[in-house]
Amino acid sequence: MLVNAYSRRVFNLAYQFAGSYQEAEDLTQDIFMKLYSALGKYDFKKNFTAWLLTLAKNHLIDTYRKTKWEKTHRDEFDDRFVAPAPGPESGLIHEADRKLVWEGLGELAPETRMAVILRDIQDKSYEEVSEILDLPLGTVKSRINRGRLQLAKVLKDRKEGSHDL
Amino acid sequence: MTCERIEGLLSAYLEGELSKTEIALVESHLADCSNCAALVALLGRTQKALAGVPELEVSPSLRARLAAIPERKRKFSFVFDFVLKPSLQPVFAAATILMTLLSFYLFNPDKKMIDRTIDLKIHSGYSQVEKLYAKAGSLTGRIGSTAENVLDSVKSWKIFGGNEDPINKQ
Repeated sequence: MLVNAYSRRVFNLAYQFAGSYQEAEDLTQDIFMKLYSALGKYDFKKNFTAWLLTLAKNHLIDTYRKTKWEKTHRDEFDDRFVAPAPGPESGLIHEADRKLVWEGLGELAPETRMAVILRDIQDKSYEEVSEILDLPLGTVKSRINRGRLQLAKVLKDRKEGSHDL
Repeated sequence: MTCERIEGLLSAYLEGELSKTEIALVESHLADCSNCAALVALLGRTQKALAGVPELEVSPSLRARLAAIPERKRKFSFVFDFVLKPSLQPVFAAATILMTLLSFYLFNPDKKMIDRTIDLKIHSGYSQVEKLYAKAGSLTGRIGSTAENVLDSVKSWKIFGGNEDPINKQ
């Protein structure tokens, strides 16, 4: 039941954070192992999804810190993994932006990357992000703003580098 | 307002979270600063690009691995619990001591000497046991005869049908 309800959410968080499909699978498995061990400590007054995502976030950031040197490359933003974007904005320009932003995520500090992923990719509210990261709302907002600015600068630099802008 | 200060407000500006005064400040800065205006446009594109990152499906193999975790954990915890059972702790402690002593014996360079000493100890122990056993045999005989004497004298008391009065004996 837990697998059906939460595996997709945890796997996508791991994939967006780590940037590697294979690694995301291993990380998801590790997170579920931890989840089954920690279930006894779950406080029923708390939101289960937020609690699970906090556990996942802690594992992802800890693992990243331990193996930082191996994490210099993210998977190519491959068509196999890309679902067609809805609406008229799914043009080539947006596809190129997505590719650059995807690569740029790997350049953010792990805490900033996690905050941006939760807010902008997973579409969580600032309050939810604050609960998952266990940080004050103001810190979360400034961290997300900083992450977006960094990504925007990556977008700018890469576009200028390829003379597309 | 400096560009740095404006940068700190841009996300809130794009998400409509600023007050009217702050919006006016940001917009007047953006009208004068082409760098910040370009940054706002880039920030908007970044947010759209992030929102367009698709969700992936979990592969069937990963799903199967995840579904197998509770069973694996249950088996592991059964073995773990069995090994850590408190009632088994003295057995493990005794086995550890035995193995340590055995390793001292097996890997000792004077193993022959130890063998001889053990033989001597066993023999002297055996002879001591034999002596004790012999002593115990004679002691049993003596106890038996004493018991018979006591029984005879008790039987001779008046109270048991004899003719001796143990109270007024003197």
